[in-house]
Amino acid sequence: MATDRNAKVTWAGSLLEGSGTIEGVGSGAFGPLDVTWSSRAEAPDGRTSPEELIAAAWASCFSMALSHALAGAGTPPERLETSVTVTFQPGEGIIKGAIEVVGTVPGLDHDGFVAQAESAKTNCPVSMALTGVPEVTVDATLAA
Amino acid sequence: MPRIVRDADVSWEGNLARGTGALTAATSHAFESLAYSLATRIAAAPEGKTSPEELLAAAHGGCFTMSLAGELTGAGTPPGRLDVHCRITMDEVEGRGHLIVHSALGVRARVTGIDDAQFEAVVEKAHQGCSFSSLLRDAGVGIDITTTLEGGD
Repeated sequence: MATDRNAKVTWAGSLLEGSGTIEGVGSGAFGPLDVTWSSRAEAPDGRTSPEELIAAAWASCFSMALSHALAGAGTPPERLETSVTVTFQPGEGIIKGAIEVVGTVPGLDHDGFVAQAESAKTNCPVSMALTGVPEVTVDATLAA
Repeated sequence: MPRIVRDADVSWEGNLARGTGALTAATSHAFESLAYSLATRIAAAPEGKTSPEELLAAAHGGCFTMSLAGELTGAGTPPGRLDVHCRITMDEVEGRGHLIVHSALGVRARVTGIDDAQFEAVVEKAHQGCSFSSLLRDAGVGIDITTTLEGGD
């Protein structure tokens, strides 16, 4: 079954001097959030940006895919802590996605965890929509 | 222009079906500790919880809107106001699992000094120039854009 999700954005004025607002999303979970070019390209000043939202989408999708794969292998995670860093080069686009995950996974060794993380990096739906990003890395470690 | 780097953090507890996650915009802190789960990701009613697809809708809507503002400005007709709606669809594709299959952008623009044909050309340029549109195209995600141009004042 298909799943649809929505967002609404408004903008007034030119790119450099104008400003926009992510008015809201279908779930109501966040918004309104202000966006501007300067806060996208320079210091964020508390404002989100398309790249930060992509990082959030990617981190949340990757974590779900990894949780699913670990449970399928008989070693469900107690906890996953995932950070995603998205790098945008103006004029080129998004050039890198770096995933870092620290897992608490009883019964699994480091190599097994790394293999599952690599698989989730390749197969989660957001990764599959971002196959054009030239460099995607995953750094997976088990919590001490 | 220097590289722009943005971070997000997620913590997840438990398995996919019954676990829950919390996500934070780690660079700007514009949002923090938003809860999400599998049930609310795929349900018709999200029960107030966001999802990867909703975040992609906000990202694509935001990216395209800025790209269009930039192209309109470059054409000498900066927008009075742009209203952009983005709908992202995820579906199960036989043999490939769940994929992002479509993004639908609905654009309502109030711009003075531009006619419909000129506006359509600028929209296409904005679509080509939007970095996130480019990535979705590369991945085979369908994108359609519907536009309404209103004369500005």
